[in-house]
Amino acid sequence: MSAPAPALSVEGLEVRFGGLVALSDLTFTVREGQVAALIGPNGAGKTTAFNVITGFLRPSKGLVRYRGRALDGLRPNEIAARGVIRTFQKTSVFGGIPVFENVLIGLHRRGRARPWEILLALPRVREEERRLREEAMEILSFAGLAHRREELGSALPYGEQRLLEVAVAMAAEPSLLLLDEPVSGMNPSETAGFMKMVEKIRARGITILLVEHDMRMVMGVSDLVVVLNQGRIIAEGPPAEIQRNPEVIRAYLGHGANRAGG
Amino acid sequence: MRRWLPCIWVAFLVSVPLWMRNQYYLHILISTGIFAVAAMSLNLLLGYTGQLSLGHVAFFGIGAYTSALVSLGFDLQLSEGYTFVFEPRPVWLGFLCGVAAAGFFGWIIGRLSFRVRGAYFVIVTVSFAEVVKLVALNWVDLTEGPMALNNIPPVTLSFPGLGELTFWKKEPNYYLVLAVCLLSYLVIRRLVFSRAGRAFIALRENEALAESVGVDVTRFLVLAAVVSAAIAGAAGGLYAHYIKIVDPDIFLFIYTVTMVIMVVAGGKGTLLGPVVGAVIFGILPEALREAARPEVQWIIYGLFMILIVFFLPDGIVPAVSGRLRPRLSPARGDTAEEAA
Amino acid sequence: MDQFLQHILNGIVLGGSYALLGIGLTLIFGIMYVVNFTHGELYAFGAYVVFAVVVALEGNFFLALLLAVVLGAVLGGGIEWALLRPLRGASIDTTMLVMIGAWIALQNTEQLLWTGVAKAIRHPFPEAPLVVGPVSISWIRIFVFFAALVLIAGSHLFIRRSRLGAAMRATFQDRETAALMGVNIDAVHTFTFAFGSGLAAAAGALLGPVFVVFPTMGDLAALKAFAIVIMGGMGNFIGATLGGFILGIAEELGAGYISSGYRDAMGFLIIIAVLLFKPTGLFARAERIG
Repeated sequence: MSAPAPALSVEGLEVRFGGLVALSDLTFTVREGQVAALIGPNGAGKTTAFNVITGFLRPSKGLVRYRGRALDGLRPNEIAARGVIRTFQKTSVFGGIPVFENVLIGLHRRGRARPWEILLALPRVREEERRLREEAMEILSFAGLAHRREELGSALPYGEQRLLEVAVAMAAEPSLLLLDEPVSGMNPSETAGFMKMVEKIRARGITILLVEHDMRMVMGVSDLVVVLNQGRIIAEGPPAEIQRNPEVIRAYLGHGANRAGG
Repeated sequence: MRRWLPCIWVAFLVSVPLWMRNQYYLHILISTGIFAVAAMSLNLLLGYTGQLSLGHVAFFGIGAYTSALVSLGFDLQLSEGYTFVFEPRPVWLGFLCGVAAAGFFGWIIGRLSFRVRGAYFVIVTVSFAEVVKLVALNWVDLTEGPMALNNIPPVTLSFPGLGELTFWKKEPNYYLVLAVCLLSYLVIRRLVFSRAGRAFIALRENEALAESVGVDVTRFLVLAAVVSAAIAGAAGGLYAHYIKIVDPDIFLFIYTVTMVIMVVAGGKGTLLGPVVGAVIFGILPEALREAARPEVQWIIYGLFMILIVFFLPDGIVPAVSGRLRPRLSPARGDTAEEAA
Repeated sequence: MDQFLQHILNGIVLGGSYALLGIGLTLIFGIMYVVNFTHGELYAFGAYVVFAVVVALEGNFFLALLLAVVLGAVLGGGIEWALLRPLRGASIDTTMLVMIGAWIALQNTEQLLWTGVAKAIRHPFPEAPLVVGPVSISWIRIFVFFAALVLIAGSHLFIRRSRLGAAMRATFQDRETAALMGVNIDAVHTFTFAFGSGLAAAAGALLGPVFVVFPTMGDLAALKAFAIVIMGGMGNFIGATLGGFILGIAEELGAGYISSGYRDAMGFLIIIAVLLFKPTGLFARAERIG
């Protein structure tokens, strides 16, 4: 029996802000097709880890590899070109434009039209636009947002904005999807709907790494859970193990950060 | 019906010199046209890409000076005994050089924006314009400084075998300005309704998110800056060969402000907004000329700007067209084909 | 060498007032994050108040200076309350546009009232300069320098020692926490804008008698203020002070050794250079105000 190949390898990451150590010796591996979760009390360094992986932050030490190739020094859009796509913690959509256009922007990488080709209005450009628009409609249907296509991103109710975030991320054709607190602020039925979406995404072979506080969601979808506290990993393993781990329980109770959603 | 409207407008505009004999009104229309080109170019950077570029008049002026200098010719004494002489060239070449020079500086500003954003970028662009003004004022050998470049030749078209046509009169200049206006509009429209345009808007609305889905933000910022600067340079070239005098006052901050008012009041991030703004602020000063002194007019414009920001923050065009937001894609019913 | 010392001395005198200008703007910029285009106009306003009192009303010079600062602060507070407060929470380009509108209105009002002709302000100091070895300095400049120092020191003390100063510093560091701790953010904003504007008016009032007064004098002053803020880092009091002196000296040296036409370019070149190489400012270690 062979485990799936490693997709994302985080090796010895350290991040310092002046004197403050946000991440220390962070090392873990997510395998192809897995759903992994990074959990931990607030301020444990989870979003910082995301920022390093996706190129928004330089680590002081350590390395991130995706499918064997190092990601250090790459800009976020170059990392995205490798198939690593993320969402952001605060609701993050293109608020001032319609939902449909949001997804079209997500499809940016799927287009090839160069400025001079655009200016000359080559037939190839028109053909590409038509194709992109069709794909955008498919993605909106997948996310259950087709009926909202004309509305502004910022006009959507909260739960649907979060769905839109994922739709935009999916449009960018991720092979590794990083979701930063995707269900925060959602009620139980919205969360359940989201968990189904995660399964649909996993069924497409996409590897997922998420940061979440909602324990029911985390334990319900994850194959691997990595627990951070104060910038360090304190536990790592399948959900069942983690739930019983005394250090984990202490970290949460000690900081009083256990959210009601769990 | 909707699709014929623009054609009717264009036909109307083309017909104007045939029935409007009043030279003064023609002059106002030509000036307004030049403003419109400049405003449209600023809108690309300010409205669509969301970059707070307040040095735009620098591109306009660089276009004007370059075009003027290329068509007038100049000599520069580079050292004892060696003087670089540049012979006068045809106006159309000067015009293209003006566009290229402005575009080049647009490229520089675009690259600078990679380092700085927001309020700092405003300051860089304003400072850039001031430095250019000071150079124009002080490098007297090249630019004649405050004595201005005079007798700039108007546009001349040569038809081999048929002779030459020189644009001394207002009518041909009107058509030239109208042609550049339409061309600029088309170029901007095409860019905006495309993948590149979406990238511009994405980086305006949420830069981090844009990057995270693979938009090369720097590249598109530079593209917007180059196109924007080049079109402003074209406006400058039109100005130089129509007014036929160029002096460092062309770089005054107040002209950038004028362009900003046109774009903001008309509707930033819309295609027609800057045109509407140019029409209003091109014609208004002339209409008010009898009624109020320039200072009073400017006070009114300042207050007007404040009122627009408070009550019509998206500008006039979106308010009037009943939609609250600038449109990104063509109206429903058009296919992507027709938009292109 | 004598020339060099003279330039340095002139630069230091100029720098004192420039520092006031810069401190005012860095406070506004740092606490409120507003691109304050009216800052230059408050500078001009200060100069014009002194002109009005001394020349038109034949009043006392020192009283005029005091009045300039006070009225400048009031005007600044008024601008904040009328234009910025209603837009609290709007994007930076919105506030920028409003500030541009206010700038145009203010400058043209000044133009309307006083016409474009440059005006000189009489001052009660002797005309003959004080000569100390190789350098000479006029009495008015000595006064201006020390007055600026007093104001700088006073402001510094105010921000470090007073409750209002503490509130300002708290708002600068972390607005949300400050609000949660009971700081009245609205009041802090209005006060900061008034305070900063008062300093700008002071700078204008002090430099007006040294040079001449004309309606567009604020434009260059505003840009220099921005240069100082960028050099020192947003919200960095010490940085702005040092930046003011650096700019003053750079200008004097530039005017002396390159050409007086490019004097004003110094500020802009510094801006561009700093932003390209060290965007957080030259003195970025001290990241707080005060």
